[in-house]
Amino acid sequence: MAYSELIKDVSRIRIYMREFFVYGFKSRDEVGPKSLRSYDNEKRRIESWLGNFMSFRQDSSGKAVFLSVDSRHIPYNPLYKAWKAASFTKNDIGLHFILLDILADGKPRSLTELLEVIDGEYLSSLDYTEPIDESTLRKKLKEYTDEGLLLTVKSGKQYLYALPTDSVELQSWRDAVAFFSEGCPLGVVGSFILDKYKAPTPTIFSFKHRYVVFALDNGILLDLLAAIHAHQNVELELAADRHGGRKQGLIAPLKIYISTQGGRQYLAAYGAGKKKITFFRLDAIAKVTPGETEPEYNAFQDLLKAEQPYIWGVSCGQYRLEHIEMVLAVDPKDVHIIHRLEREKRCGSVRQTAEKEWRFTADVYDAGELIPWLRTFIGRISSLTCSNKKVERQFWADFAALTEMYKGGGNAV
Amino acid sequence: MLFSEIYSAYFNAVAAIITEALQGELTVKRIDEIIREQAFSESVLSIMPALKNGEWAVLDKDFQTPIKRVPKMPLTTLQRRWLKAISLDPRVCLFGVSPVGLDGIEPLFTSDDFVFFDRYTDSDPFADENYIVRFKTIVTAMREKRHLQIEYRNRQGRLMHGRFIPYRLEYSSKDDKFRLETAGGSYAAYINLKRIERCELLEEYVDERLIAPKRRNASVLFTLKNERNALERVMLHFSDCRKETRRLDNGMYDVKLWYEAQDESEILVRILSFGPMLRVTAPDSFISLIKNRISMQESL
Repeated sequence: MAYSELIKDVSRIRIYMREFFVYGFKSRDEVGPKSLRSYDNEKRRIESWLGNFMSFRQDSSGKAVFLSVDSRHIPYNPLYKAWKAASFTKNDIGLHFILLDILADGKPRSLTELLEVIDGEYLSSLDYTEPIDESTLRKKLKEYTDEGLLLTVKSGKQYLYALPTDSVELQSWRDAVAFFSEGCPLGVVGSFILDKYKAPTPTIFSFKHRYVVFALDNGILLDLLAAIHAHQNVELELAADRHGGRKQGLIAPLKIYISTQGGRQYLAAYGAGKKKITFFRLDAIAKVTPGETEPEYNAFQDLLKAEQPYIWGVSCGQYRLEHIEMVLAVDPKDVHIIHRLEREKRCGSVRQTAEKEWRFTADVYDAGELIPWLRTFIGRISSLTCSNKKVERQFWADFAALTEMYKGGGNAV
Repeated sequence: MLFSEIYSAYFNAVAAIITEALQGELTVKRIDEIIREQAFSESVLSIMPALKNGEWAVLDKDFQTPIKRVPKMPLTTLQRRWLKAISLDPRVCLFGVSPVGLDGIEPLFTSDDFVFFDRYTDSDPFADENYIVRFKTIVTAMREKRHLQIEYRNRQGRLMHGRFIPYRLEYSSKDDKFRLETAGGSYAAYINLKRIERCELLEEYVDERLIAPKRRNASVLFTLKNERNALERVMLHFSDCRKETRRLDNGMYDVKLWYEAQDESEILVRILSFGPMLRVTAPDSFISLIKNRISMQESL
């Protein structure tokens, strides 16, 4: 098939964009699950969409392609472009503009009337165009009615099609859409709305700690939210490696957990097989297939709500509570450390135990999840104790390795 | 449906081309320009011939269009539902949007669908009336290209004041806070909106004065050991920054990370969170910061 910069679905390009953006060191034969030709086509597409951000490097392992973006200094998420590259037929594009034009006068019309006008007033003025058949038009009208672009009115025995009255005052939304298209989940929909404004929207906002890569998972997120709202079970197909995808049995999707610091989004779900709360990375989900309504859905939501005070991040460990305590030596002039403890403590608690001593405690299902955060206080930790001794040992072993690395003169990382 | 041609760059480009055809000013050069502005770098190779030979039934070979009105697509259900979801976000009161037309629409999501589990808890007071007034004053100043007189408390709680050109309102999802980035000084300066006590519109400035603030850029080089899934965790964690990664031998990687110099403490903490999986190799000043933290810890 001839190359086209447009695509039928985003599943394959999602893998390549992620590889180029997140990693950016893999060579041609390491990226993606398909052939080398696929690699060349996907790379060419991404270059066509995002050429300004694309770089290349040649080293001993081959040529590496990478997308280099400082998300703080770009007003709009460039990865949204993947969602604006859907392929279409000549009838799709022709009918889109002709139908909306015919119905713009506000008068509802039947399928037969529309066919007559399309043929008599539009196609007849053009050379080389083929007539539109009734079945093609019928499918398009149904599709546009489902999307909310058209509405149907019953008149006698037939349906008439009309444009909905758009009373949303879009002009009043401009700044809000510019902000939320980057500052909230499913921002790509906001980006579609921004495209509707004639003049470019002036840049007012910038975004720090923004994970533009979340854009690639917007389709999966939308499918999961639909199932959450419908209290439906879903079957997940987990991301394909070179050996194909893996199916995950029926689960009830409950909530989306977003890390604002780690660049990862998760689905919290109740697994019918494991009979417990399980977390799935959104970027590892290739497909969501909705199933039946789950009769026990509210009970699963209640279970997650009850577990939440003991989940530090996205792990329930072995469902056994682990108690962890960290004592920090903090000089009163270093008030920012106390502020950090207060705003970062999540389900833990913080109290002052002496003039220069602050104690953080938490009871969580998986104390190992705290280790990265605890390390950020290196330099002030006067004691660390955990009912799970493995956590304590891991923390201090890592600190010993860090000390050896920087002060022992060793080269090992 | 999220992935649909109705939202595509091609449809947007063709809508803009039809608009100009209706004004009777369309040329090949102009079509080329519109495609480059609205679509992708290779799109001209597909769109131009399809338009010229009338394949898409929207333009004839003389660039006349049978379309009678400027193309306008109503909001789709997906777009309405997204707007409804936004209208329920606590931050929306900063924007003065009109709720008209969204009655009875089911929101695409609500705050109850999400848990931002590592977001800081001292977010800005988005519903506070004074905060909203200050936010709107800043936006007005940016729109009308006006100076601002600002009184704010610095980190030490001292009351500061100054005259500024507002450049960008920077939002951090991690902090759930806005900061004002100002222009006009030697380097970019940031003021937390929460710390602003008074904010007053002053006279307009000439356009040329709005020069993007200079940023003190810095970089750090570290070697990564791919144990305990560190490669993936580090790559994703730092994917908000500009970075470049090279593979070495034996599961090791060199990573160069760029950041703004004023964020050094934050980057230090982020690197420390990976423990011995990362070893900073340059610059020496950054290595000293880590050694200092280790020494402090050893002395406890």
